[in-house]
Amino acid sequence: MALSLSRQKILQEWKLYLFVLPSLLLVVTFAYYPAASAVYHSFFEWSGGYTKQLIGWDNFARALHDTTLIDSFKTVFVLIVFNVFKMIPSILLAVLIHRLKSDRWQYIYRVLLVIPMIVPALVTLFIWKFFFDPNLGVLNHVLDFTGIKTLLVSLDHFFHWGIFFDNVPIGWLAQPELILPSLFIWGFPWIGAVGVLIYLAGLQSIGQEVYEAAELDGIGPIGKFFYIELPLILSQVRLSLTLLIIATFQGYGLQLLLLGDSGGPGGRGMTPGLWMYNRAFIAGEFGYACAIGMILFVFILVLTLVNNRFVRVEK
Amino acid sequence: MSAALSDAVGSRRKKDWPKHLFIWGFLAIELLPLYMMAQVSFKNNAEFIRNPWFPSNPLHWHWENWAFAAKLILPYVANTVFVAVTGTFAMLAFAVFGAYFFGRYKMPGSGLLWSAFMVLMLLPGIANIVPLFSLLKEMSLLNTLYAIIIVSVAGGQAFNLFVLRSFIEEIPKDLFEAAEMDGATHLQRIFHVVLPMSSSILGTLAILAFLGMWNDFLLPLIILRDKELFTLGVGLIYLDGEYVKQWGQIMASYFFAAIPLIILFLFTMRLFVRGLSQGAIKG
Repeated sequence: MALSLSRQKILQEWKLYLFVLPSLLLVVTFAYYPAASAVYHSFFEWSGGYTKQLIGWDNFARALHDTTLIDSFKTVFVLIVFNVFKMIPSILLAVLIHRLKSDRWQYIYRVLLVIPMIVPALVTLFIWKFFFDPNLGVLNHVLDFTGIKTLLVSLDHFFHWGIFFDNVPIGWLAQPELILPSLFIWGFPWIGAVGVLIYLAGLQSIGQEVYEAAELDGIGPIGKFFYIELPLILSQVRLSLTLLIIATFQGYGLQLLLLGDSGGPGGRGMTPGLWMYNRAFIAGEFGYACAIGMILFVFILVLTLVNNRFVRVEK
Repeated sequence: MSAALSDAVGSRRKKDWPKHLFIWGFLAIELLPLYMMAQVSFKNNAEFIRNPWFPSNPLHWHWENWAFAAKLILPYVANTVFVAVTGTFAMLAFAVFGAYFFGRYKMPGSGLLWSAFMVLMLLPGIANIVPLFSLLKEMSLLNTLYAIIIVSVAGGQAFNLFVLRSFIEEIPKDLFEAAEMDGATHLQRIFHVVLPMSSSILGTLAILAFLGMWNDFLLPLIILRDKELFTLGVGLIYLDGEYVKQWGQIMASYFFAAIPLIILFLFTMRLFVRGLSQGAIKG
């Protein structure tokens, strides 16, 4: 009965399927087919051409002993920790703007926040690369001017790092030890306009009376943050956290442009994604690159499943 | 009474000034790249080294930096506008059609099809990039702008379908039924009911799609080889490699790369701020 009904529906309204067809064709051709092809080719020695050789699990065995790949996983976990920390200023800024009494100023700040978005992301990246320049860069100027450089030099004397010296400009993207610190500083003060606006949307549901009640109970500004504001934007925070971790995990654009395709001096900025790019497009080892892609896929899938299981977003 | 009220408001305002100070601090650093880009674009290297922070005298501005940048960057800007406009339009058109199917009707198999799209949001794009490259090679789409458009449009389907479906589901059923009574075809229903009812979310999605394609450089970097086809992404990367010395010219080029976005934001700022502030993109 149910079957005949749905068959009737298909016969009557078959035209409806035409509406989903273009999206489906696109997705099958440019997402599902490449994904399947990546699984298939990860078992081959393949340099992108017509000749390929089945080598079974060899690519994966090689990945297990690939020290660059293993180090790149360590690097990417450090970067994830950095990026999670970098979420804090956006949350704080959203709360600060939300607590302003004047609606007009709230709107003005929202607009001002969006303005930096007119700078293309790539340009922001290159301007930061320019900020890092040892001689001309803004960063070294600021450190000299504020005396932080002197502090760093004396710390260096004390701990024998051998990184910071008087009268020698700090080589931010040039010295292996400074690659990770540079990637940490990158983008200071780490405000994401879209993120702030989305947090503000979550905060909007707090009525003035909630604050007044909290004040009567003698809850201070910090208490208000943890008891009132954070719970309300928690679902947004969790969502951006998930997206951020996944994006950092597979990211390589930033590293490619700031540090080059071998991860910069000493390969300290090498991430798994960048190593995959390097193997495919620099070394021409497409089969091995596919295997790295598979390993990344499994990691990301597990991360997503763990997230869906334990970090449930309440509606 | 009114004096007491304004007094109360005044004291509340006064308590806000540390917050304003903090916010301005954040914003100042956030706007620093934009400021540096603007003021350095009028200097030559000597002036820049002598005076890195403050704008130089407008009488001595080096407009030739801008002339140089225009000649270099405008072809890239044209290519990128073509890619981003066509891509945004196609991405949203297909997604609206698909979302109409999912949001308005429960056809046999639609649940399965829906999961097929949603799984893609979990699939890391990075694992696909190598086979995608060889697929484009086989389709002889490598080194064409169409390749970037098609791949971006395909890549945006899952997210846009996800957002649009919930919006179409919330459109009152009566509107569709009234249209059906009047004998409107599905296409007419999309144009006369769906589009007007979801215009604000479509605007926000369009801006996000446009920005995404404007900023993309990984895909163009892999796909494009000929200089005439470069989009801004690849063009700026080559500029970074070739002309490292002339900061004024580089900054002027960066400014040209931003001009279309400035125009876009001038017209859509309100829509964009409102769209995101209302939680148009729901968690």
